[in-house]
Amino acid sequence: MESRHKILVLDDDGDWLDMCREFLSQLPSKPDIRTVSSGMRALSLLDAQPFRVLLCDLRMPRMDGLQVLGIVRRRFPELRTVALTGLSDGEFRSRAYAMGVDLYWLKSDMQQNPQMFLDCIESLLGEEDGGGFRAVQSRNLLDIVKMESALRNSSVLRITSGPKVAQIWIQDGQLVDAKVDGADGEAALWRILEWEGGAFESLPAEPSHVRIITKSLESLLLESEQELKKAANPTPTQEVEETQFITRLTAVAYVGAEFVVTIPAKKEDAAKGWGMHDVDHLATWARQAEKAAQRLGEKLNAGPLTHVAGHNLERHLLLVPGKGRTFVIGWPPEADPRHLFEQSKKLADTWAS
Amino acid sequence: MGILNWFGKSAPVVEKLPSGSFTVDRHGNVMATTIGSGYSQRLLDSIAQEVLSQFQEARAAQMPLTGLDLHFASLRITARDMQGGAIIFLSPQNTFATPSPAGKDRP
Repeated sequence: MESRHKILVLDDDGDWLDMCREFLSQLPSKPDIRTVSSGMRALSLLDAQPFRVLLCDLRMPRMDGLQVLGIVRRRFPELRTVALTGLSDGEFRSRAYAMGVDLYWLKSDMQQNPQMFLDCIESLLGEEDGGGFRAVQSRNLLDIVKMESALRNSSVLRITSGPKVAQIWIQDGQLVDAKVDGADGEAALWRILEWEGGAFESLPAEPSHVRIITKSLESLLLESEQELKKAANPTPTQEVEETQFITRLTAVAYVGAEFVVTIPAKKEDAAKGWGMHDVDHLATWARQAEKAAQRLGEKLNAGPLTHVAGHNLERHLLLVPGKGRTFVIGWPPEADPRHLFEQSKKLADTWAS
Repeated sequence: MGILNWFGKSAPVVEKLPSGSFTVDRHGNVMATTIGSGYSQRLLDSIAQEVLSQFQEARAAQMPLTGLDLHFASLRITARDMQGGAIIFLSPQNTFATPSPAGKDRP
């Protein structure tokens, strides 16, 4: 019986993947390490078998890491995620944490302090998921407030998040007041709980502070958990759209294609990509190429256009006209060009169904 | 006379699809061709212009192509970029058509 945990490493750099595989093999629990170089292949692999941890690069061509992490968070909520990147920009860090990653680690830090990185990954492998909403940074704040309440403590929590500073007054385990950006009481508390990260400091109690919050801590926490759950869970429409998106993306990955872009006949309607982020250039080319080819076909009396195939060293491109929209499907250079039209047509048909 | 003129009307001509290859420079001028002289030069020029402009558009879309195949129900146009110019193969498609050497491995 398989008892080893599995780790999936996603990065577009093959050398880095080799290095990671070797490096992670030093983990004491000896997990099974798999590597993939594209977001789509990662999603199809995650769909096919259970993984414990995903290590994901952020800057990748076509489908970037944040896009992958966004899908993973919804589709595989129990998967622990680590953003492993060269991007030290604070904005990426906060976006990744906001998406619910468990760890944000710089590649340079990983190389400088390998043991600490291994310890963190090992702890993620061993960590059992407690269920409920997870990976929202304000949970830490809630935990502290809960702890203060359970211990019937009296203190002032000073919370800082970048330039923002907030305070929460707790007296005998009860929430008394909160203040941030000129707001106080419950309104301020909700605002603080929305913060995605920050540092906490426990200051001496202020028993004379006027009580503004009158609700019990239990009912406030219940409300806050409901709010956070609501934020973490998409609406049914979003969920359907996302499921459809992932199903199609998985279909693309399973047949070995790199991406699918659908281009509506109406120029004002936006093109949509699966496995490709920036589709505007491609859509412009495809619209023009299809029109020009049809024009030429009419001039030559060569019959209707069945498809256009473009090739370069990086990929094969198949442009397949459909009803009301055109499909452009990218295939890796090693794909057998003799079968690409049939495969592209089949893939386009799955969109129609 | 009117009736005679009506009978004398010429039937619509079925033009044969071109078969063979030709090379064009970056300006669309035909440099060499194996296509019979009976085929309209104007149509060959149109093919050349469209193919060259497709390569150009692809470059403008940051997706330069080295090869381009246009598949119609009864004709396949296979073009290979040649430093701005192109070599273009025209292969009529019908039930009895045998794959041309240039495009036999293409879809």
